[in-house]
Parts: sequence; structure tokens; C-alpha cells
Amino acid sequence: MISVQQLTKKFGRQVAVDSLTFEVQKGEVLGFLGPNGAGKTTTMRMVTGYLPPSGGRVRIDGYDLYDHPIEVKRRIGYLPENPPVYPELTVRQYLEFVAEIKDVPVSRRKAAVDRALERAQLQEVRDKRVGKLSKGFKQRVGLGQAIVHEPPVLILDEPTSSLDPKQRVEVRHLISQLKGEHTVILSTHILPEVSEIADRVFIINRGRVMAVDSPANLSDRLRAREMVTVQLRIPGRVGPGDSGKLCEEVRSAFAALQGVGDITVQPDDDAVTVKLESAVGVDLRPEVAPLVVGRGWQLLGLAADSLSLEQIFLTLVSDENEEARLPPSRAERASASLAEAFGEGGKPRTTSQVDGGGKLMGGSAGL
Amino acid sequence: MRHAFAIARRELRSFFVSPIAYVVVTIFAFLSGAFFSNMLVYYVKQSTIADRQIALVGRSDFQLDVPTMFLGEFFKNESFILLLVLPLLTMGLITDERRKGTLELLLTSPLRPGELVAGKFLGAMAFLSVMLAPTVPLFVFLALGGAWEPGVVLASYIGLLALGGAQIALGLFVSSLCENILISAFGTYGVLLILHFVDTSATIARSIWVDFINFFSFNFHYLNFTRGVLSLGDVIYFATYMALGLFLTQRSIEAIRFKRS
Ligand SMILES: Nc1ncnc2c1ncn2[C@@H]1O[C@H](COP(=O)(O)OP(=O)(O)OP(=O)(O)O)[C@@H](O)[C@H]1O
Ligand SMILES: [Mg+2]
Repeated sequence: MISVQQLTKKFGRQVAVDSLTFEVQKGEVLGFLGPNGAGKTTTMRMVTGYLPPSGGRVRIDGYDLYDHPIEVKRRIGYLPENPPVYPELTVRQYLEFVAEIKDVPVSRRKAAVDRALERAQLQEVRDKRVGKLSKGFKQRVGLGQAIVHEPPVLILDEPTSSLDPKQRVEVRHLISQLKGEHTVILSTHILPEVSEIADRVFIINRGRVMAVDSPANLSDRLRAREMVTVQLRIPGRVGPGDSGKLCEEVRSAFAALQGVGDITVQPDDDAVTVKLESAVGVDLRPEVAPLVVGRGWQLLGLAADSLSLEQIFLTLVSDENEEARLPPSRAERASASLAEAFGEGGKPRTTSQVDGGGKLMGGSAGL
Repeated sequence: MRHAFAIARRELRSFFVSPIAYVVVTIFAFLSGAFFSNMLVYYVKQSTIADRQIALVGRSDFQLDVPTMFLGEFFKNESFILLLVLPLLTMGLITDERRKGTLELLLTSPLRPGELVAGKFLGAMAFLSVMLAPTVPLFVFLALGGAWEPGVVLASYIGLLALGGAQIALGLFVSSLCENILISAFGTYGVLLILHFVDTSATIARSIWVDFINFFSFNFHYLNFTRGVLSLGDVIYFATYMALGLFLTQRSIEAIRFKRS
């Protein structure tokens, strides 16, 4: 349905999208996952005919975008990063306008608008001005706009960004409903989202595909976890001699906590660092302090960090097969560049460095 | 072209949702009415003086063709108000679409940039017509008085639409260049003021360049209409500006896609 070959976009000397090639079958949902500036939006803009590519071809439903732009555009519903709405129109007026410029015949226009209102769950606000709607509703108006002409291809750029979790779930649900009738490309920063909806996931960074996988494999490899790092000192029990016993003691102490998963214990010269993993949404911190104090140990530090996208990407890039495929220096460079890409954008770092951070440092040092 | 009408209709609808449209129409109607009555009073006074002079001395220094002079003055003023108001109308035409991101919607829809530009232009022209409509009753009033020149009035309205069309087309082009509506407005004022008044510099110069400079002036060509002269040359002149403005806008919109959105 969608065929993209060697698609390239250069902004001056910066290569935003670097000869991307992929195919999407009819009815398939393809997810783009990538950090800020990865080139997701640029790719989508080129596929929808908004940005002219610097090189490469796009074909939709057999039509070449360059030779038949109108035919191609008729077949695409596009939700840009920010929903392209006219705040002064009502939802219904807006959808009618979009239906008109998307070539929905007059006789079918009203039905098309009603259907879009229903599918995007907009009936309750259909006569409200778009500008007066909450962000979530605006996003839905954006979705309604994308589906009003029942295009075979849907291109959704971060359809759930800037929504609260509840709205996010709703929009996600909506997209899963659209699945099947439409061939979909969507982009996101959120891993669970993409694994829920997409049939295939592209991890993109710096305009290139770093990995392609089915979401099942992806989430197996990268099950999201919470992590708590505890630093403590055990008075009178420090020394290299009995570190094995000490580790066991600490481990068994923490294993008693409810909801705890993997535990790693790492004794240092005068302190012990413990890493506790748990499922997403479980916060172990409140229970850690009483436990440590109850044992007569001294609590030096306590920090939480969920396994962020940052680390997930790092895991992916430094993944075995990836490393096998790339010469080592390039793999290192890739992870270093990811670290750079995530430098400011990622989650706030906590005081203690977690695993991913360690790898990250290693990558940079190798350069 | 179907798309152009869709875009024009949307444009007009959006105009009339915003209070600015009503303010602009009201101000235009109010200023026109004020000019109309003031000048009417003025010319009536002048002609009364002239009448009295003729009665007393048997002749008058005034050479008066009151209806024509009055209409000429009135429509000249109308063109000044247009000059004041139209940039406010055109400043956001493309700039707003860019700011709101709706340009991305339009340009990924199955329409040609030409249709988009035509739609924008038609929408603004429709607004201009709405704006001019409240001045029509003034002439009904004049007609009731008996002495009016329907030919001059008609020619002047055609002139106003031609002038307004050229101004809108150029404003549309400036708007397509600007990402900021203030810059767009000032840019349009700059371009239109220069084009309107280059002929005043020419009248001082008095050289062979006069005709040449006059040729570029909106005012020079527009005044022909207000004298009741409907010449093909003037019509083509304004039509050329419209075509130029629309063509440049289309090219500029295509160029926007190559730049930062
Ligand atoms: N119009 C433009 N002019 C110059 N550079 C651009 C332009 N658009 C994007 N870029 C650059 O291209 C790169 C890719 O940007 P893009 O918007 O495609 O990223 P993205 O994956 O959508 O990121 P995000 O997750 O933040 O939306 C970025 O480095 C960006 O700065
Ligand atoms: Mg983006």
C-alpha cells in the first residue's frame, strides 16, 4: 500500500532523513519510535507530500507521489504533530470544510461528517468552537479530520502526545478501532503505545532505522520496569572478607519487600549499593527506609528511576545482533550519539547512575 | 476550482466570527458616511456661494461641476480608507494558516496551490464587497436628490474593486512571505503606500519620467475611474497587478515547503 524508497531529506548540510526504505502492507500498522529530532515528522511530511524530499520515491496505492500528487493526497488522512484546526469554526463546520477540500462528494458529505464525529467520539462537542475545546478533544478533532474522507492510508504524527493518561488511553483505543480498515503509520515516543497498536515497529534515530521488530519481541526484550537504587552502610560489617555473606544478608532482607523483582547487590569499600526492580507503577521507596533503619543499617541514598526510553534505546542500539552487524566503532558512535540526542530530552536523572547510564558513559569513552 | 470556493467560504466564515471583521466594516461604513455628508455639505455651501456671486456680480470665480467633483473627492477618500483597512484584512491570509499549522492540512489535501491562492483571494474580495455594500445606500440618497451621475458612480465602484483587488493580491503575497502578522501588515502598508503615491513625486519632477512613474501609480490609474472614465488600459493595469500578486503568492507557497515550516 505504501512503498518508500531511499527517501532522503537534507536541511542544508544536516541529513534529517537518510535514505529510508520500507513497505507497508494493506491493513498493517507501522509504528515509528524515536527520540526528538529523529526524523519521524520529516518522514511523514514527505510521505504526505507536504515537504518535497531531497531524494527518493514515495508510492501510495500504486501512485507515485511526484507524478500524481493529487491522487496520492486523496488517499491519505494525515494528523500532523499539532492538530491543524481553525479555532473559530465549530467542530462540524470544520469537518465539513475538510470533507469538501478532500473531495468527498456533496451527496455523501453529511454522512461522512457524521461518521467522523461518531468515530472520533465528538458528538457531544460537535457544535462547539474548536478553539474552546480541551487538548484531548482537539486531538480527536484532528483524528476526525484525518478519517473524514475514509482514506485507505492514515498517517498519524504523535497522536497521543500532550494528552493526559486517560485521554491517551481513549485515543489509543480509537486508533486500534481504525486498524484493519486503514493502513496506518504512526509515530510516538511511548513504547507501550506502539506495542499495543502496531504490527511492526521501526526504531528511528538520526534519520535512520536502528531496528525493526514486532512489538511482542520488542517488549519482551525491553519490558518496562521501575528501579530503585538504595545506598546503605552496615556499621561494623565492612571489609572484603565477608562480602559474600553480606550480600546474601542484604538480598534476603530486601527480598522480603512486597512487589520486588530482581535485586542486585554491589558492595563497595564502605557502602553497599542495592538495585531493586519492580513492575511499572510499583514504588518501593516508602518501604525501603523502615526496612533499612529497622535492621540498624544507615541509609545513605535512595533514588527512583524507571527504565526510561533512554535506556531502552540504548539497550536496543547496544543489542547483540546490532553490534554484530555494525563494526564496533560504529556501534559505539551510535550509542554515543543517542546519549547526545537524549542529553536534555530524556527523563530527569536521579542522583545515582543506573545501568543504562553506565553503558552510556562507556560508549562515549570509546570514542 | 471547487476547492477555491470551499476555501473562500471558510475564509469568509472565519472573518465574520472574529469581532475584527465587524469593527472593520463598521469603521469603513462610518468613515464613508462621515466623508459623504461632510463633503456634501461643503459642496452645497460652495455652490450656494457661487449662486450668490452670480446673482450679485453676474459671474463667479468658481468653476463648478458639483456632482462630478463631489463624486471624485468622495471616491478618492474611499481609496484612502481602503489603503488603511485592506492590509489589516490581508495580513493574516497566509500567515495565520502557517501559524496555526492549517497550511499543512491544505497542502496535504488534494488541491493545487493555485486553487488555494484563488480561494484566499476570492474570500478577501468577497469581504471587500461586503465592506463596500453599506456605501451603496448613500447614492440612493443622492439619486433621490435628482442630480447624480450613475455612470461615474458605477465606474468608481469598478475602480474601487479593481484597486482593492490589486491591493489584496499584493497583500496576499506579502502575507505568504511573513511568519508574523505584524511584519506582514507593515510590509503590506509599505508596498501599497509606495505604489499608491509614486505619482505625487512625479508631478513635482515634471520631466519625461512623469508618464513612466505615473504608470506605476495606483492612484493615477484609479483617479481615471473616479472621473467616470472606464478605459481598458486601467482595467488591464489593475488586472496585471492582481495576476502578478497571485502568481507570486503561489510560487511563494511552494517555496514555503522547502523552508522551515
Ligand atoms: N524545516 C526544517 N528546517 C531545518 N531543519 C529541520 C526542519 N524540520 C526538521 N528539521 C531538523 O530535522 C531533524 C528531524 O526533525 P523531525 O521533526 O523530523 O524529528 P522528530 O522525529 O519528528 O522529532 P520529535 O520527536 O521531536 O517530533 C531535526 O534535527 C530537526 O531540527
Ligand atoms: Mg515530530
